[in-house]
Amino acid sequence: MKQWNWRLISTHAILIVGVIFMSLPVWVAFATSTHSAEHILRNGLQFWPGSELLKTYNEVLFVDGGVMKSVLGTTMLKNSLILGFGFAIGKVIVSMLAAYAIVYFRFKLAVPLFWIIFMTLLLPLEVRIIPSYEVMASLGLLDTHFGLIVPLIASATGTFFFRQFFRSVPDELLEAARLDGATAWGFFIDILVPLSKTMIAAILIIMFVVGWNQYLWPLIMTTKEENYTLVIGIKQIYQILAEGGELPQYQKAFALTILATLPPVLVVLVFQNWFVKGLVESEK
Amino acid sequence: MKFRPLLAALALSSGILTSTQAYSATEIQWWHAMGGALGETVNEMAENYNASQSDVVIVPTYKGGYEDTMTAGIAAFRAKEQPHIIQIFDAGAATIINAPGATVPVADLMKDFNIEDYISGVRYFYADSDGKMIGLPFNSSTPLLYFNKEAFKEAGIDAPPKTWEEFEAIAPKLKEAGYIALAQSHSPWIFSENFHSRHNIQLATGNNGYDSTDVKLLYNNDHMKMHWGKVKSWLDAGYYGFYGRAWGDNQDAFVQKKVAMWLGSSGSFGGLTKSAEFEFGTTFLPYWESIIKEPKGTFIGGAALFAMSGHSDEENKAIADFFGYMTSSDNQVFWHKETGYVPITTAAYDAAKKEGYYDSTPDAEVGILQLSQPGGEWTKGYRLGYYVQIRDVMYKHFDDIFSGSASVDDAFAAMEKESNELLVRFSDTYK
Amino acid sequence: MKRVQFERSSIPFLFVAPQIIIILVFFIWPAAQAIYQSFLLEDAWGLSSQFVWFRNYKDTIFSESWLQAAGFTIVFSTLVTFLSLALALLLAVKANEVIRGASTYKTTLMWAYAIAPPVAGLMGNLMFHPLIGDLYKFLNAIGWDFNHKLDSFDAGFVVVLISVWKQVSVNFIFFLSGLQGIPKSVLEASMMDCKSSFRRFWTITFPLLAPTTFFLMVINITYAFFETFGIIDTTTRGAPGGATNTLVYKVFQDGFRGADLGGSSAQSVVLMLMVLALTIVQFRFIERKVHY
Repeated sequence: MKQWNWRLISTHAILIVGVIFMSLPVWVAFATSTHSAEHILRNGLQFWPGSELLKTYNEVLFVDGGVMKSVLGTTMLKNSLILGFGFAIGKVIVSMLAAYAIVYFRFKLAVPLFWIIFMTLLLPLEVRIIPSYEVMASLGLLDTHFGLIVPLIASATGTFFFRQFFRSVPDELLEAARLDGATAWGFFIDILVPLSKTMIAAILIIMFVVGWNQYLWPLIMTTKEENYTLVIGIKQIYQILAEGGELPQYQKAFALTILATLPPVLVVLVFQNWFVKGLVESEK
Repeated sequence: MKFRPLLAALALSSGILTSTQAYSATEIQWWHAMGGALGETVNEMAENYNASQSDVVIVPTYKGGYEDTMTAGIAAFRAKEQPHIIQIFDAGAATIINAPGATVPVADLMKDFNIEDYISGVRYFYADSDGKMIGLPFNSSTPLLYFNKEAFKEAGIDAPPKTWEEFEAIAPKLKEAGYIALAQSHSPWIFSENFHSRHNIQLATGNNGYDSTDVKLLYNNDHMKMHWGKVKSWLDAGYYGFYGRAWGDNQDAFVQKKVAMWLGSSGSFGGLTKSAEFEFGTTFLPYWESIIKEPKGTFIGGAALFAMSGHSDEENKAIADFFGYMTSSDNQVFWHKETGYVPITTAAYDAAKKEGYYDSTPDAEVGILQLSQPGGEWTKGYRLGYYVQIRDVMYKHFDDIFSGSASVDDAFAAMEKESNELLVRFSDTYK
Repeated sequence: MKRVQFERSSIPFLFVAPQIIIILVFFIWPAAQAIYQSFLLEDAWGLSSQFVWFRNYKDTIFSESWLQAAGFTIVFSTLVTFLSLALALLLAVKANEVIRGASTYKTTLMWAYAIAPPVAGLMGNLMFHPLIGDLYKFLNAIGWDFNHKLDSFDAGFVVVLISVWKQVSVNFIFFLSGLQGIPKSVLEASMMDCKSSFRRFWTITFPLLAPTTFFLMVINITYAFFETFGIIDTTTRGAPGGATNTLVYKVFQDGFRGADLGGSSAQSVVLMLMVLALTIVQFRFIERKVHY
């Protein structure tokens, strides 16, 4: 009995250390963001919240020049939300349609098309940054939401996921639907989409996080401050800290990291079950 | 904005675009690299200009650091989306000036342009090999020594060091008083480029790179190696602090009173007056008496404004008008006083003098006095391609010297080799 | 493919068209341009250009700085993959054992998944800041002469730690669900055979997790190669002395900061080949798994 207890205690101890390891940095970031710049410069990071919470976050979110020259925190927040939602929704639509075509239709080009989609996995953005910028510019898509979101949508991950899922749908459904005289579009909308509800939700959540967290692409695609996302704001505040020249506004940098973290974390926590299901399913 | 291609097509088919343009003000995009307090001053100047007339609207955009700004400009130019005005820093000068057709030279753009209006120290750094000014030296700075007067008092030191020999004498006293004697932001700029200018040493073949792109770097010389050997020994002895490559990290150490002296830019003056809670002074960049008895002036650092090509005459006229506004004495004095960057015209310098600005703030004049020190054969500037990467190469080997993973000799030999390979590549792009 | 499918028609093309068009315009076209540019020597502004065959490859791939970055990338990827998998596996096994507080542990261990790499990078950067960072002070206080601005080992430590921190959550989620997927009967049977829980884990449980582990390895290597860009960019930026420069970061630095398009493109193409190799390995594995 005694031995068993020790085991349990050590298990909990390991887990608690793990939780502290994962959570403490974010807590410190939050606590420090609620102190004044002078205080941080003199006393270092903070473990307990201070009295400047409202002041810092108010400046970052609502005051002109509070964090970046000509863009408010709320504007960056809005841009991040547009990117996150736009990306998630676009991705679900485009990849569901493509997966549907590949799984449910017999056509000659199915295999080559599948390989074209597959190729996107070989071309991470990092290896085609500069030409991508030139392509976007020549299409007049810089600084547009369309240009920011659409090129991100095309990668294969979502398509693979739906392809896998559609293949697990019983064949009898299509047989029955065809006996009822359903069209291709009718079958998709009336049967397949309702059937995929949970999957769609899961993918939406994952892709929202992925879209929100985009860094390099918005970095090169946005040339105007008013189009910055929060994650790009991170880069800019890093730059401002690195250049110095005035009292470093560490509390605002931390506040920005908290703001950039909060929405995706909330989404993941609130929809935890769907999210985990979606993530783990994508492996298969 | 979101549907720009669509709008453009619509406008083309109906002729809306041309008719509206005639009535609206000309919008001039200005990409700059001035963050923090400097950026606020830039915005203020643009707003003032916009308020002063109704034909032109200047839209300043902060594009990140100097490198980021240049990159954004290059990418935009290649995509034919270039801004009208771009701020390019000293290390990027060769990249933009060696590419005729990328810019419209200021000397051609501005009517009544006279290079003699500019103070001698800034005239030729952004000029082509014929001495024609290409970029407007907007924010010109020079490396200065900032010192904490309180720290000096605590250590019982009367005056800041004029030479590195003097520095070596006072450093132990500062250490005893609990300070690291010196830190520095930007070692390629201060401890390499300006080291050569101050001691009047050639830094590259081909007239410091002005005459040709087919040149070799001469950093691997005995004076440099002596200096860096000394710096390494200071670091080991606790006289020198290194807080990273980032400019701000080293400046913050000075603000936090960890270090007693800091080598930074004259353009840092404005920011420091706001952030430092102690009395500080400025003086000239120290030199080695063992190398030169009468030191020369320094290079200007900072950056210049370039008018990018590919815009309409109307827009170019607007740019010229804005440049004229920026170089007016009033604005130069304003900029000088707000930021610490030197005034670039003699008229502005005289105006600041007449105002009595230097009587009340003598430290603000140190930068311009240093730039006005007698020039030598090798103090005009330098023009080297891929210099952004070369600076990275230098940083890399300076890091190695500091960490002790390479000897000074090995580090400089490797630096010379890698830099010259880059110069060959750069030169070949213009064949 | 499905046994039952729709008849041949043009409808499938309509469905697949959006994705294919986007791919052609935004993936294939720029990638082809990258390959083309890797054979060109151009000035930054694109005003003059010449075809130079493999010179860009020769100049960059055999340069000391590329080899250094390649070396670091390998060490870095191995460390990040191994450490984040090991840590996540330990936590997942423990979280699977407890009953009390299981869902709290699960939630608090997985939420960091949602943090963007650059955000993690900036947080870490400030935690290790020489002037305000408590981790910096702490490490020096316990006798480690820690200075990641100067010492390449210490800098490597910083980027590995932040990258692992960011990646533990996703591995944890997969391991935990893998563990939960192991049938109770298998575990109960193993209890009879093998008293030591340590041996039981390595002989029964771990082999059952092998497919998940392998899948995660591929994911983690890809992460360490590409996604850590945001972490490097907000922490060391390759310093000191290029000691923490990864291949991807170097592509960005040479191309985007240094304006050497040809050299940067050549490096991109080499990276594409590396991803290709990785994908082939992954595919082999998936095939094997299907037969299994």
